[in-house]
Amino acid sequence: MTREDAAVTLRGISRSYGRGNAAVRAVDNVTLAFPRGAWTAVMGPSGSGKSTLLHCAAGLERVDEGQVLLGDTDLTAARDRTLTELRRTRIGFVFQSFNLIGSMTAAQNVALPLRLAGQRPSAAVVRDTLASVGLADRARHRPRELSGGQQQRVALARAMVTRPDVLFADEPTGALDSTSAAVVLDMMRQMASNGQSIVMVTHDPLAAARADAVIFLRDGRVVDRLAGASAGQVAARLTALEVGP
Amino acid sequence: MIALFAGSLLSVTLGVALVQSSLLLLITAATLDPPPGLGAAARMEFADNVTAAVSMLGIILGMAVFLAGFIISSTFAFTVAQRRRDFALLRLVGAGRGQVQRRLLREALLLGALGAAAGVPVGLLVMAAQAALMRHLGFVPAGFEGRWRMWILGVSFGTGIVLAVAGAMVAARRAARVQPLEALRDTGAAARVMTATRWIAGLIFTGGALALIIVAPVGGPGGGAAMAMNVPLPAAVAAAALSPLFVPLLGRLLPTGSGVIGVLARANLWDARRRSASVAAPLIVLVALVVGTAAAGASFTDSGIDELKRQTRADLVVTATGPVGAAVAAVPGVASASTELSVPATIVAGEDSEAVSALVIDPAAYARAHSVDGGLTALQGRAVAAGPGGDVPSSGTVNVTLPDLDLGAVPVVAAVPSTISGGANLLLPPGLVPAGLLADAPAQSFVTLAPGASADQVRAALGRIGTVADAGTWLRDDAASRSDVNNKIMVAVMGLGGLYALIGVVNSIVIGAAARRREFAAARVGGLTRGQVLRAALVESSAVTVAGVLLGGVAAAGALIAAARTTSAVTGSTTVSLPWTLIGAVCAVALIVTGTTSLITSWSATRPAPITQLAARE
Repeated sequence: MTREDAAVTLRGISRSYGRGNAAVRAVDNVTLAFPRGAWTAVMGPSGSGKSTLLHCAAGLERVDEGQVLLGDTDLTAARDRTLTELRRTRIGFVFQSFNLIGSMTAAQNVALPLRLAGQRPSAAVVRDTLASVGLADRARHRPRELSGGQQQRVALARAMVTRPDVLFADEPTGALDSTSAAVVLDMMRQMASNGQSIVMVTHDPLAAARADAVIFLRDGRVVDRLAGASAGQVAARLTALEVGP
Repeated sequence: MIALFAGSLLSVTLGVALVQSSLLLLITAATLDPPPGLGAAARMEFADNVTAAVSMLGIILGMAVFLAGFIISSTFAFTVAQRRRDFALLRLVGAGRGQVQRRLLREALLLGALGAAAGVPVGLLVMAAQAALMRHLGFVPAGFEGRWRMWILGVSFGTGIVLAVAGAMVAARRAARVQPLEALRDTGAAARVMTATRWIAGLIFTGGALALIIVAPVGGPGGGAAMAMNVPLPAAVAAAALSPLFVPLLGRLLPTGSGVIGVLARANLWDARRRSASVAAPLIVLVALVVGTAAAGASFTDSGIDELKRQTRADLVVTATGPVGAAVAAVPGVASASTELSVPATIVAGEDSEAVSALVIDPAAYARAHSVDGGLTALQGRAVAAGPGGDVPSSGTVNVTLPDLDLGAVPVVAAVPSTISGGANLLLPPGLVPAGLLADAPAQSFVTLAPGASADQVRAALGRIGTVADAGTWLRDDAASRSDVNNKIMVAVMGLGGLYALIGVVNSIVIGAAARRREFAAARVGGLTRGQVLRAALVESSAVTVAGVLLGGVAAAGALIAAARTTSAVTGSTTVSLPWTLIGAVCAVALIVTGTTSLITSWSATRPAPITQLAARE
């Protein structure tokens, strides 16, 4: 895969926590490309470094070694100002715990990234974005008045309102019941099919199976990659990794 | 969120009110005109009282500005720290550092202005209370009331806005610099409480307090006392800045019990160092200021009383009116008597004139009665001497004005060493002051009995001249009235300021509790009863209170050390007085107020069923 085809490229990145003997290498010399216009899931046992990998890929955490490229932009060399601008324009986030701003309505939360970029978002844009996640009628509700699934859909709308190059999702269905999770995954599938690049960390084989490809991590290293696998195949591979070689 | 804004607003409102009231009272006192129809002597006395009231109001204003600055800035810093998660979320969706910082400063600007708008009318109420207190304590004449000035609006709004913005500035910089993921997880730099700013402020103000302690003994009685009384200010700031180091440590040492409540309270104390430090900060200031200045004040007063006792050589003291010296000396059985008549005087130096107190004395008798080494033989004719009250140069010439009489430039030919107990600033030889001025002057005679004289007979004879007391009783009464004045000064200076600091303590507990609903809910889901959660919160707040009181005590000890060194340098004997009643009262009030507040706030935070609190995510 050439660099032009990759939404995000990781070149030999490593990230450790702690010092001396207590140091843990959460990500260990990983080289990887997340293809443009595709949905890639990252899986692995607990402590395999999948969240750290995602945070590094999104420029939320510094890497100790290696290089992270968002398209052609080198995130490892970027200053805080550049990273902030990238978050407004080219990167979208969704978290397990939604992370909406509790005092703002759904519409205000969705409009926030545009406002931070100094734009005056039109009511139509916000309404359409909320409508795209099926929440046109919840625009004036605050997060605490919404169900978990609805909150996560607001978070998706907020991430997508800037039309980012890449949507990063950290266990997006981890806090949802299966029905709400299915709705959120359907929406993400729809986005990916429309050409949105998505990188998602999950431990749910059902979620991973909806992605175009699944990367498996263990002890901070990439150990496998499956494309077009069923939930059962994903689960079997994950179980094998958890049990050990 | 509402608690945070309300807390910030309250701190600004009360701070502005206190500063505005103190400033208006000071200006009113400084421009006070004597009532018409007073004689020259009464006018001078009036001017003397005004000078004393103005300098006291100056101290009150200084205290108000210090407290307002301290409490407003620490409250704003705390509210910003409590909202770090919100700012992290903003940063994650693309807010720049500048945007976070500007938003916080805009908020501070708005809260400062709103707080000042409320502070102006509240300040009028505070002024009425403060003026009533000053009248009640007798520091200002009856009928004294603060007068409104239009320009105070500018001062009050300026104070509110500047202090709020300055307080938010440091915290805003920090909130904007933190990495968003760290703030969300509360790890790394986001979790660090001992910031560089805290270290720098802590060390600089420790240095300032030490400098005052070191320099105080060479400042003489007046300067040394002023420096010692000021030690609590930098010492309190230093202790508050460094409190995140000590509060959890002291908390760990405290016996919180080994049961589940103790374990939870200790864990909370360690984990929430920022919150503990914020609750402790106003407590530290409260204890340092109230206990520190009161203890230093009491030490100086007691040292002065001891000094007076050592220096006074007399068996009886006669209090009378007018020139009774000859009559006293003529009483059979009186070996010697120093009769001292007090007259008001003014010393003019260039444009400035200063009201002072002068004593007309018999130099030889005075030197005997007050143990003046070397005597005062040079004091005669048109010469004067610097008295034990200080403020008059010990050589050269001074321009002295008595009521209705300008003495012109007179040479200062001798100086009695300044004393802690103070006294007259100027000593005048007999004959310099016309008899007319002395007719109504208050007189005191220090009488020594001749060997073998009957004290009772002498007392009876002296009783026809004035009121007689034996020297021991007179010294005791004098000591009591000195302590009484010292206590009144403390009440005037510390009363409302202490109340403000106490409200600051309540404020930070309420702000801290606002963010604890989830924490309490998690503990209850984990199997603790509501009562256990409340008890753990109470144990935790008591531990923070004790730690705050101890740290405030350390800062207060600084003032006491300075007082001990100064009294030792001036009188040759070290005096340390601890006002135990006050210390006990301050500790009790602190424990009761923090305990009650944290019980009420945690009771209200645990009212909803815990599971609803855990489900409500932001």
